[in-house]
Amino acid sequence: MAATPGGFSGKVLRVDLSTGKISTQDTVDRYGDVLGGTGIGYQVLWEEVPAGTGPFDPANKLVFATGVLAGTGVPCNGRTAVTTIFPTCWPQPLVASGHMGGQFAAKLKYAGYDALIIEGRSEKPVWLFIRDKRVELRGAAHLWGAGIRRANLEISQEMGADCVVAAIGQAGEKLAPMAIVANSLSHSAGGVGGVMGSKNLKAIGVQGSGAVRIAGDKDEWEQLIKFHLSILGGNNQHVVPSFPTPQSEYYNPGSRWLGEPGKRWGAAQPPIEITGNIHDLNRIAFRTNSAAFFLGEGAWQHTVRGNGCTACPIRCHTIVKVPSVAAKYGIREIAQNTCVGLLFGRSFFKTLPGGMKGQTALEACMVGMHLADDLGLWCNYGQLQRDLQKLYHDGLLKAKLGSAEYASIPWDKYEAGDPAFLFDILPRIGQRRGELGQVLSQGTAGLFGQWSIPEETWTQDHNTLYWKLGHPKHHANEDDGQCGVIINTQYNRDAQCHSHSNFVRNGLPLEVQKRLAAEIWGSPDCVDGVGDYTPMNLHKARRARWSLVRKELHDSLGLCNWMGPWVASPLKSRGYLGDDSLESKFYSLATGRKLGREELDRMGERIFTLHRALTIRDMGQMNMRARHDQVPGWVFEDPAGAPPFSKGSIRMDRGDMAKAMDLFYKVMGWDKTTGAPTQETYSRLGLREVGQSLRAKKLVPGDAA
Amino acid sequence: MDAALSRRGFLLLSACALSGITALGLSEALGADPSLVILDNAKGMVLADPSRCVGCQRCELACTEFNDGRAQPSLARVKIERAMNFGPEGPTGGAAMQGTWGNGLVMQGVCRQCPHPVPCEMACPQEAIQADPQTGARVVLADNCIGCRMCQRACPWGMIVFDEQRHKASKCFLCHGKPKCVEACPSGALRFVPWRDITREGRASGATLPALSADKAKTCVECHPTSPK
Repeated sequence: MAATPGGFSGKVLRVDLSTGKISTQDTVDRYGDVLGGTGIGYQVLWEEVPAGTGPFDPANKLVFATGVLAGTGVPCNGRTAVTTIFPTCWPQPLVASGHMGGQFAAKLKYAGYDALIIEGRSEKPVWLFIRDKRVELRGAAHLWGAGIRRANLEISQEMGADCVVAAIGQAGEKLAPMAIVANSLSHSAGGVGGVMGSKNLKAIGVQGSGAVRIAGDKDEWEQLIKFHLSILGGNNQHVVPSFPTPQSEYYNPGSRWLGEPGKRWGAAQPPIEITGNIHDLNRIAFRTNSAAFFLGEGAWQHTVRGNGCTACPIRCHTIVKVPSVAAKYGIREIAQNTCVGLLFGRSFFKTLPGGMKGQTALEACMVGMHLADDLGLWCNYGQLQRDLQKLYHDGLLKAKLGSAEYASIPWDKYEAGDPAFLFDILPRIGQRRGELGQVLSQGTAGLFGQWSIPEETWTQDHNTLYWKLGHPKHHANEDDGQCGVIINTQYNRDAQCHSHSNFVRNGLPLEVQKRLAAEIWGSPDCVDGVGDYTPMNLHKARRARWSLVRKELHDSLGLCNWMGPWVASPLKSRGYLGDDSLESKFYSLATGRKLGREELDRMGERIFTLHRALTIRDMGQMNMRARHDQVPGWVFEDPAGAPPFSKGSIRMDRGDMAKAMDLFYKVMGWDKTTGAPTQETYSRLGLREVGQSLRAKKLVPGDAA
Repeated sequence: MDAALSRRGFLLLSACALSGITALGLSEALGADPSLVILDNAKGMVLADPSRCVGCQRCELACTEFNDGRAQPSLARVKIERAMNFGPEGPTGGAAMQGTWGNGLVMQGVCRQCPHPVPCEMACPQEAIQADPQTGARVVLADNCIGCRMCQRACPWGMIVFDEQRHKASKCFLCHGKPKCVEACPSGALRFVPWRDITREGRASGATLPALSADKAKTCVECHPTSPK
């Protein structure tokens, strides 16, 4: 077997469900220029999925791709990008990716594969068995109709307890656009479950006994990993604690580094006290407690432990134990998830008895996880819940839904803040029952498409947090002014980028951030205080570009862009500087192919530009500025009427944002009028043929005339 | 009684250990190449606290990356992967399930650096498993290992790994006294502590010593005569 020197596992596995053909390709030969992850996903879609392909057409492909650093000991790896023609994108489906952590990425690499491409459609329900070189399609008739947990259990019985299973639930089987595929209980990729269902693929079980080789010197590798650990902060790379302590010069109540000495994992047996030095590398796992961050102080007593992805010391999924739900609702007393997954149930309610961080809220979260993570239902970053709230409270639901169906829903429980309401509403949506189930399972797209609610009803209402194309904002102007807005214009779903917000929210004082920003991006002016924005400048455009490039880079290396990048650190001795070249150092050592920071960033930019090219091709037009890169109206308003650039307001200015887009297009090498990459830019990034292909369709600026 | 036994064991060991064999003339008694049977007790061991384990596998990765230059949990000499999903109960759906799909507990697998009779060492027909002179860790001498897997069969704790590529067995060697797994644990769930006999604690996987070579059996008789003296 021709082994790669390291990093890459070496093969891409291809499974054609229509014919049953299973084959492999050499990763580096075929996809080396796009690294992995979303890079491979975009390339496969560019080369093999024609424009106009629908998400549930057999011609659509589903690309599960990890990256060079997945499966290694590099902190915060463990990510798999699942790229496909995305079903929740409105008014037309376009390319996008769901991303999952857990153990799937590492296992796929140990089995020998950097990526898995699913093609066609099986006649009957099947699941995919992968044990190293042995790959088979097996019948899934006995699993069809089952939830994700049962699918996991039965496949684990068949394969062995050490396998990892990525499965869809009933939502995916029923081709709900709002469906996930999930592995390791709580690690899900949103929006792609229905695509898997359309292919009659219930699950992928993976066992791997092989290695990810490290090409470079192992001592050097060990030192670099230890260095990376030393510059880690808490969740989202918040580098100062949320509490005052003599052990840290700074603290910030907004930090997600919550593990204060004296707190305890109260549901561990016996409880575990957090003690000692907060910087101790053998205590990193105690820094973060997502449950306490999202659910409030009361969550500590319910904390069993932290959990998370392979090799990540920041355990962002918290295992919580709430015995009361077993008696009240007959569900498991233990659950785990993070962020919007943790809040899935609670977020449907406008108010709850005891408040949004009280006991009832906690129970709503438990019921939500119990249902959603088994049905395989996605929340579209909380948009599903916000949509239902708006539909209900604005009277839209009553107006749109037939009276019999409306009356069949226990709204009294909803009004009363009774978590039992979720037992009615979630299966309705997950199993697509009735008109409400049909509509909401399409995501916000269902409201605009099936119910003909004008999109402006959502874009004008700040409370919806709705952005565009059927999806919400994701760290926009509430975190990072113009940078956040630019980033939120770029994708076909919510932006999922954290490179920018993880810096501005890292908890360091603004003057320290500005000093670091000058070192990293060349000017202190590229950073503003949160909610204290200044007019646009070129440096902000450069930082937006850097943020997007690093996001794609992380998604293509198997790294977590929720935790990275690592440009700031908790280390006073380093002046709080992190390391802007960690990714390239790791890449070089792992693969044995030495690449500098700029060269690797260029690959990230290539991947990001390929996403742009795919979007242009599939939209059949290059005027991205007018047709794609939109900003919702609420961004330009302030609830109290404050003008733009007033301290305390996140309101943006239309003229300033137009300038922001001008500058952003400029630093990207894109045409200012249309926001489309020029042929020169395609060529500079090694995408000459992509540009030429678009040129033939008159989709490259300068050719239209 | 246990304490008395281990003291006696220690005396026997001291008397019969490698350095003592020549003095006692056992070498002559047993022929040119006597089988070595009794190993000095290890000085330290890796101790695991399941209630602290967060299932990140950083220990498994540190073990194989920093020692072998490759990330490969299947070859790790500390075991997390196998217990992460369901624990020893396996995917039964029963109430005793541990791990991610059960009560959350992860039972790490660590080498107990067993006292005499050391199952892996006793089972080795090549004397490829010996005590490290510095730490007393039971280590596989790769040059001697012929890849017969008898040690893997013998270990009651499932702690012998087998490198299919090199066709050699391997096991925890305590990283020459500074275990990398311990250093790598982000929650303090692994500690390097002075050795004590924990082979009667916890649940073994049930493997037993499958066979003893004739040479070794002959050595055993020196201390354990078939009929009372």
